[in-house]
Amino acid sequence: MVFKIARKHLCIPYVLFLLLFVIAPVIVILYYAFTNGEGQFTVANFLGFFTSGNTVGTLLYSLFIALIVTCVCVLLAYPVAYILSKMMGRKRSTLLLLFIIPMWINFTLRLTALKEVLSVIEGNLAYHPFLNTVIGQTYDFLPFMILPIYTTLCKIDKSYVEAASDLGASPAEVFFKVTLPLSMPGIISGIMMVFLPAMTNYVILDMMYNSTYIMGSLIGGYFSAYNWNQGSMISIVLLAIICVATLFTNKFTDGEEAADRGAVL
Amino acid sequence: MRRWTRCLDKGFVGLIILSTVCLTALFTGCGEEDNNETVLRVCNWEEYIDEGDWDDDERIDLDNGESVIGVNPMYEDFEEWYYKTYGKKVKVEYSCFGTNEDLYNQLTIGDTFDLVCPSEYMIMKLMAEDKLIPYSDDFFDRENKDNYYINGVSPYIKNIFDTNYIGDESWGKYAAGYMWGTTGVVYNPEIVSDEDAAHWNVLTDKKYKRRITVKDNVRDAYFAALGIYKEDLLTKDSFVNADNYEEVFAEEMNDTSDSTIAAVEKILRQMKDNAYSFETDSGKADMVTGKVVANYQWSGDAVYTMSQASEDDILLSYQVPEEGGNLWFDGWVMLKDGIGGDSEKQQAAQAFVNYLSRPDNAIRNMYYIGYTSVIAGAPDDDMIIEYAKYNYEAEDEEAEDEGADETEDEGDEDTYEESADEAEDDEEYIDYDISYFFINSEDGSEAYNGGDDEDISDDISEDDDDKDSDEVDSEADKYVIHAGASSETGELGAQYPTLDVIKRCAVMRYFDKETSEKINKMWVNVRCFNPFE
Repeated sequence: MVFKIARKHLCIPYVLFLLLFVIAPVIVILYYAFTNGEGQFTVANFLGFFTSGNTVGTLLYSLFIALIVTCVCVLLAYPVAYILSKMMGRKRSTLLLLFIIPMWINFTLRLTALKEVLSVIEGNLAYHPFLNTVIGQTYDFLPFMILPIYTTLCKIDKSYVEAASDLGASPAEVFFKVTLPLSMPGIISGIMMVFLPAMTNYVILDMMYNSTYIMGSLIGGYFSAYNWNQGSMISIVLLAIICVATLFTNKFTDGEEAADRGAVL
Repeated sequence: MRRWTRCLDKGFVGLIILSTVCLTALFTGCGEEDNNETVLRVCNWEEYIDEGDWDDDERIDLDNGESVIGVNPMYEDFEEWYYKTYGKKVKVEYSCFGTNEDLYNQLTIGDTFDLVCPSEYMIMKLMAEDKLIPYSDDFFDRENKDNYYINGVSPYIKNIFDTNYIGDESWGKYAAGYMWGTTGVVYNPEIVSDEDAAHWNVLTDKKYKRRITVKDNVRDAYFAALGIYKEDLLTKDSFVNADNYEEVFAEEMNDTSDSTIAAVEKILRQMKDNAYSFETDSGKADMVTGKVVANYQWSGDAVYTMSQASEDDILLSYQVPEEGGNLWFDGWVMLKDGIGGDSEKQQAAQAFVNYLSRPDNAIRNMYYIGYTSVIAGAPDDDMIIEYAKYNYEAEDEEAEDEGADETEDEGDEDTYEESADEAEDDEEYIDYDISYFFINSEDGSEAYNGGDDEDISDDISEDDDDKDSDEVDSEADKYVIHAGASSETGELGAQYPTLDVIKRCAVMRYFDKETSEKINKMWVNVRCFNPFE
């Protein structure tokens, strides 16, 4: 048999990757989430989660943190990305580099430095665990918000903006009626990249001396107590939340096309 | 979705299988080795063994003429030593774990190791689950000089290992000790008084609100909370002086009844509100930088913290609270899944433990990681006590005089005078007795009585009538360190606690499945955020 490499074969590495590191783990997580310690099918894990004030409280607490972090990130990132996209040539690439460089430095190092800075400003960090967590996470996730927004803003055809002003729209109107709607996909991808990590990244939480669990710490806590089932259950809950969020945001962005994508998901 | 199904034609499936096979071959290929070489898979705590590469000025020159320096990682030195001693090749695959729970999870996932070094409660758990194989008889053969472990292990530690059981089997059969210590509180004596730090409730003390760290693991937190909950009972004279104190005390510190768990939960909530943070590693640095004034710490990390702080001229102290501390051990155990029936492997594993137990290697590890080895050295081998003296013995003229006196070997009266002399200088120096660690308690207990030097001098004069007292005295004297007055709450106290401190330390047993579930649930409740309360 003669074996020819066709174009479709190029997807093999990715399919393999997908099978091994995405599909297989999800199946394992599903198995654990719906079984008890003895391997019997059960939904008790989920019932337990949604009937306990502590775990539901933790879910709300994480959602709240993630919401605030995401909002702060959007509010900070959008103007920066907007200004960057309006710049020209070398100045623009230099500034962009300045925003990317922090990502090349290990985040433990960055957070340790941030801790020292905040200690000087606040005195005792332990009195403001929530505030510090939000600051720490924003600091860490901000580049993930800037970059997608910046990319979409750069891609917007200038003629739309020019046309709008030619037809008599004020600069504010141009921004809110043309630029902002056209940059929504960038904002959405930014939110996707910030929201879920902000719900689960408990390393930042620990480093900022916040002793209250978020969803990620809960998974870690269950796993270190050898409780794979509860830990997997939390992961599934998070997966469900992010799926719902994706569908929801897609519906609100750009009509039918997005709805189609949502349906595929 | 449709595009994927189109991809999945025959050729494609074939390719997937082919590449999977290739991948597996690649991974397993790495594991193959030539047949003459035994592979020993060792898994130890992170940074828990001498990795070598010391500077020349780090060389430890002991008073007895011995000199110790780490050039290569310990496990590489072992390979060489093993070949020289047994004429067989061994390859150590060395890896690390972060927590006992991580190690356990790794084992359940299917990672196989031959020799691992968990803490006492994990050893108990693994023993109870029949996952370990016992050390062979020739490991305990004192005649063989290469059996450094059995010849060198502290009689005090050995006794604990031999008298604690899981089922009918003692730990000593399945585990060889590595490092040991206590838990307690590191504090800055300028801000936290010695009296405050002497009780576990310093962790909930409002005076130090948000300036204290607590260990972020349920067992340690539980233990401290128990100490607070039972403070009145544990410090009562009638309780402490009871004949069966040690037994009852151990029971109290392993109390996991429902009412106790509920009470502990309440205390842990207070602790959470009061603490700077629950930490796993940051506490040491925060203590040195002064962000916190006290932290709950394991003795080995306490030594590290204190020595780091002293480099910045900050004096920190360490105390095991009066209610009692947790006596912990890390020990080497051989896994059934790894070693199986492979006698070559088992021999290599046991030799590895013996090699680590050779006194000079024990010193290398102690120096490198700051914890205390269970090794005391063979009776005729002074290296370990010399190392303790090298670290802690006060370097003053008096000490040198004393050394001269000893060699002159004068009468008993002189000995008495000498200790009287020291009593005068009480403020600056004390005689710090750690003979319990080095001498079998049956011989040593006579020579030791209480903590301060006056008692010792009394003892010596009383013992004069005994026929074999001379021998016992000189034996015990060897293990008395002439040290600075604050040693008891300093690095020395953390590294080698006095017998008084040791007496109020208990081993915390492993939680069985049911208890473990209850306690973990309690811990999650403490750490979660509950808006409905």
